[in-house]
Amino acid sequence: MKLLDMKNVKKSFGSLEVLKDISMEVEEGEVVAIIGPSGSGKSTLLRCATLLETMDEGTLEYCGVKATTNDTGATQYVDKRTLHELKNNFGLVFQNFNLFPHYSVLKNVIDAPIHVQKRDKDEVIKEARELLAKVGLENKENSYPAQLSGGQQQRVAIARALAMNPKMLFFDEPTSALDPEITAGILKLLRELAEEKMTMIIVTHEIAFARNVADRVIFMDGGVIIEEGKPEDVIDNPGSERTKAFLQKMG
Amino acid sequence: MKNRKNNVIVRALIVLLIISAVAGSLISCGKKDGAGKSITFTVGFDAEFPPYGYKNENGEYVGFDLSLAEEVCRRNGWTLVKQPIDWDSKDMELTTGTISCIWNGFTMDGRENDYTWSSAYVDNSQVVVVKSDSGIKSLSDLSGKVVIVQTDSSALAAFTGEDAEESNIELCKSFSSLQQVGDYNAAFMNLEAGSADAICMDIGVAGYEIKARGNKFVMLDQHVSSEQYGIGFKLGNTELRDKVEVTLQEMLEDGTFDIIARDWELEESVCLGKEGSDAVMKAEKTAKNDSNFFAELGNVIVQLSSGIGASLAIFALTLIFSLPLGMLLMFARRSRIKILQIIAKIYISIMRGTPLMLQLLVVFFGPYYIFGISLSYSYRFYAVIIGFSLNYAAYFAEIFRSGVEAIPVGQYEASAVLGYSKPQTFCRIIFPQMMGIVLPPVTNEVITLVKDTSLAFALAYTEMFTLAKQIAAANASIMPLFTAGVFYYIFNAIVAWFMNYLEKKMHYYK
Repeated sequence: MKLLDMKNVKKSFGSLEVLKDISMEVEEGEVVAIIGPSGSGKSTLLRCATLLETMDEGTLEYCGVKATTNDTGATQYVDKRTLHELKNNFGLVFQNFNLFPHYSVLKNVIDAPIHVQKRDKDEVIKEARELLAKVGLENKENSYPAQLSGGQQQRVAIARALAMNPKMLFFDEPTSALDPEITAGILKLLRELAEEKMTMIIVTHEIAFARNVADRVIFMDGGVIIEEGKPEDVIDNPGSERTKAFLQKMG
Repeated sequence: MKNRKNNVIVRALIVLLIISAVAGSLISCGKKDGAGKSITFTVGFDAEFPPYGYKNENGEYVGFDLSLAEEVCRRNGWTLVKQPIDWDSKDMELTTGTISCIWNGFTMDGRENDYTWSSAYVDNSQVVVVKSDSGIKSLSDLSGKVVIVQTDSSALAAFTGEDAEESNIELCKSFSSLQQVGDYNAAFMNLEAGSADAICMDIGVAGYEIKARGNKFVMLDQHVSSEQYGIGFKLGNTELRDKVEVTLQEMLEDGTFDIIARDWELEESVCLGKEGSDAVMKAEKTAKNDSNFFAELGNVIVQLSSGIGASLAIFALTLIFSLPLGMLLMFARRSRIKILQIIAKIYISIMRGTPLMLQLLVVFFGPYYIFGISLSYSYRFYAVIIGFSLNYAAYFAEIFRSGVEAIPVGQYEASAVLGYSKPQTFCRIIFPQMMGIVLPPVTNEVITLVKDTSLAFALAYTEMFTLAKQIAAANASIMPLFTAGVFYYIFNAIVAWFMNYLEKKMHYYK
């Protein structure tokens, strides 16, 4: 089943065209890595896919449910309530974590499931503790974000996203704010999630990680998808000069 | 080293000495200087007391008393300084020497032993002024009515002073309340607006005010008391008093005094030279008996304590109303609805751009002057609370806005992706963080509010500071004001301690 289906997405900020007619599909269990130089539109694409930005044109579907009503012309979104329900399908992990500083680690993880999804508190707490153990923070549930390292904060952010039981997870450069040692730990965690068949769309600069973990790699530049395919094709044998130039620069 | 240190101290002392010498020469008014030097004679007067002393249409200080003072100075070769004073502070002005005398329809009766007096020069009575259509015809009709007097005026003394006549004390008891206001303009505004039924005041001023205000008011035929005006000097300053007295007597003999009296249409009231007019002057004591400091302090604290409750009430109620109102205003100011945003902007700009005292007056008198609604007495307190709350809400709104805008956009995005609704995002994520950010500036405002409560005097609401001024005026001492200052300080120390505690609590996560 297609968990995400975006077609002909266009987005401009003022006169700057950031996305020029982009289409992207993600199948259940698939891990998609989006790579490309800064300003290529990767993050904007992710923000459109997570409803943080509105698209100027194009269509959007989650798990076969339409988030937009028209196929051509300016994008019209479905009503707010449906849109709100559609948000249950996905989670997003930010580059800067964006944890809630006034909540403890545990509260960061359980607050939305309890107050947004209205789930049973005890069950949510039990699940949250399992998730925190999974990301390696079983002893930190009473700490506050400010007391944690960057890597630990990102682990909490991942646990927080997973606690909503999303069908797919978006990652917006999840390791860009971290130093290399810590990055390795986070990437290991993502690999574990991939092995559990979690559907993930990851914007990243970690080429090696993309090659090892992703089922599919999308290379974007100048607001369009230049190349897309299996990692061994896109990364090891790029067809386009721009991809080659980019990969060379990334070393 | 030691020598140098001493040198520094000596130099500092010399500087201090020079400063105090300069300051001393600046404030020594009317004191005898070396021969040949010009002497200034500073007359302290309430600039809102026509026809004795007031500001005319040209912005000059004029009046019967000032004309007399001018003539006295001319004859003695003195330089006259007309110094308008706050009536509540007249004793401090006189004691510290910033004015030479109080010459301003100054009633002698009841104050015989507090000043060194000249002869009485005007015979004045206390009369009652009411609205023409009020139906009040005699003093007995005042039963159950609200009566206004000026703070520390002879009318007040006639009702509540130590030497008040029994009949006046009884009369005062029959009033629903006896209010004090700072000046006669406020008194007439209260009367016109219906928040008071009658004003008790000096006959000369009453006649002038009634005429000036287009005969909308009438004077009752019955007088509350009769009394005399004299020139008040600092107790013991007989030297200056004698000079002025001699000059006044000369003016009486050559007719100048009567000419000036006629100019001000007071020829009926003057009594200088009449039998008994110098009785008080001749009977005076030379020094004031010192009262026990601690007894006085205790007395002051007891008197002030009734005002502390009022100050606290203003403080607490203002916070209770202005904080939520400020929050609403902040929402309006940040609203995407343009018209709401503009209204909030204008509101905040007016509230922050005009004096709080003026806003209080508008809130209090506005309903009458704009809508013609008569005001009840209890509205005075509500007006204070409404005025303060409206004003402080504007400041709080801007503080809250700064707090909300300091929160990173990532917090909103994380909330949006997790599916929090807008109200949930605000209540659960933004508001708790905002409170931590705005606490220091809010503390600042709250501390200012403690001190601002004293502005309630603008509406003659008797909170602590108003009371302190009244007691200070009555006791001729600055101690009540100082005591009030100590109260404010302690109050604020508690507020600051509490806010600091709250701040620590709110920053638990940092």
